[in-house]
Amino acid sequence: MDFLGEGLRRAVALLLGGDAEVGGVVLLTLKVAGTATLIACALGLPLGFFLATRPFWGRRAAFTLVNTALAFPTVVTGLLLFGLLSRRGPLGGLGWLYTWQAIALGDVCIALPIAAALSAAAVQGVDPRIRRTAQTLGASAWRTAWAVAREARFALAAVITAAFGHVIAEIGSAMIVGGNIRGSTRTLTTAIALYTGQGDFGLALALGVILLALALLVNIALQVLQGKGHA
Amino acid sequence: MLELVAVRHRYAGRVVLDLERFAIPPGALIAMVGPNGSGKSTLLRLLALLERPTEGEVRLDGRAVSGPRVRPDAAARRWVTLVEQRPILLQGTVRDNLGYGLWVRGMRRTEVNRVTENVAARLGVTPLLERRRHELSEGEIQRVAVARALAVEPRVLLLDEPVSSADRAAAHSLYAALREECGRRPLAICLASHQLEDAYRWADDVRALAEGKLSPVTPENLFRVELPNTGSGDLKHVRVGTIEIAALTDKTGPAILAVPPTDILVSREPLASSARNVFRGRVTRLARQRAGAVHVTADVGVELVAVVTEEAAHDLQLTPGGPVVLAFKANAVRIF
Repeated sequence: MDFLGEGLRRAVALLLGGDAEVGGVVLLTLKVAGTATLIACALGLPLGFFLATRPFWGRRAAFTLVNTALAFPTVVTGLLLFGLLSRRGPLGGLGWLYTWQAIALGDVCIALPIAAALSAAAVQGVDPRIRRTAQTLGASAWRTAWAVAREARFALAAVITAAFGHVIAEIGSAMIVGGNIRGSTRTLTTAIALYTGQGDFGLALALGVILLALALLVNIALQVLQGKGHA
Repeated sequence: MLELVAVRHRYAGRVVLDLERFAIPPGALIAMVGPNGSGKSTLLRLLALLERPTEGEVRLDGRAVSGPRVRPDAAARRWVTLVEQRPILLQGTVRDNLGYGLWVRGMRRTEVNRVTENVAARLGVTPLLERRRHELSEGEIQRVAVARALAVEPRVLLLDEPVSSADRAAAHSLYAALREECGRRPLAICLASHQLEDAYRWADDVRALAEGKLSPVTPENLFRVELPNTGSGDLKHVRVGTIEIAALTDKTGPAILAVPPTDILVSREPLASSARNVFRGRVTRLARQRAGAVHVTADVGVELVAVVTEEAAHDLQLTPGGPVVLAFKANAVRIF
């Protein structure tokens, strides 16, 4: 049990001491997770809205596909992306393999089904009279969508939080397409895996605490927003 | 003019509305009556361009605005507004709701405020302007929803059971306000109601729906029946509640049976006549309608409504609870 106590002491020291390497890893993690969440939600929320509100041929199959993608193993996502981004792959020309862009792309692939499926569920939970009311008062398709989104705003905020929480804690894809390169593609999760493997338990624990703190901060921010909404 | 032409609308393959033509002329106040499931709400949703008919089309001033291949656009919807039976208010205050339709039309804030306060005063909802939906009763929400619909000055206002949550006084004041709106500017109103008395009192035209079809007779005395195979020739004895009504028809199976109230003869004692249907009962209600006519509702095993003149009602000394005999010929009975 000594090594646990020692690890905690090291973690506190690193956190209070303002270690430059730890700072770099945190910033990169936030950049990758923020970018991926933004792109995944920008695509996933409208897709979820479309799935929930527009009847079209193959809608049920589309729902099944999105829901299946939710359970897609992240290492398989990473593996497929690796094939696409490697020099001989169709996207090899981008030169993204082992860059933060590759990690972000993997995270977008992982977060997109989450954003689409959960936002579809959120929109389906809105009273259908809201949509009909906006339409019958002359609202355009965009304004109608906005009225529905306002009703579902707390659920949609939870969707964004869930997507962010998922990508910030993701490791499988980030390890494969990012390569865990020091100062370049090392994120919190890949660093934790590396330092644990190297026996530097204190550093790994410190990064774990930071990861948890980030998740906590995002959830607190969401709750504050919800509180304002209810006021 | 808003109209449905050759509309057959289906849900899961079942025809729920079958109308050759249904028109709402400019300035008219039309009441749609009929039992639950008769297709009133579906009809209103089609007219409001919220659903597209499976067959046929919806026309506005002769132009097709909705149909199997015509997707209604927001521009067409701006002329027609529906208030649902259980309306819902959007996020924000009553003031925000009254201004919503104006805001989506791009009206400036000062103008929105002016129109909002004006319509709130006309509909008597000014004290509610700063309240939110959870601070309102069902009746208040209905009234606010009507005000919200009127704020956008539609050419056609569709109302689905607009006073279902209101008491008599509130219902009277809402109908009176709607009548005033019709007088203020060109506005046609089509409302669905199961309150026949309200329909006759406030509407210019009362139309009945049964099983998704327009009834060829007035809405009283409509019954869903099963026509038997037996009978001499085309004369059939059809069970309606606890009585049997003689009707001339060659049809069998499920149908709607209607007895026009004006074809029912009212007396105190049975008369020697050719009428095949003679029923004794008691008067349950007397309602004076327009043009000196009295609607006599009698329980003869089922409730039947007959129309007599005020003079006849007086001569027969008809009173609620008093005895009455209703008679009508077999060929007065309509089957469809």
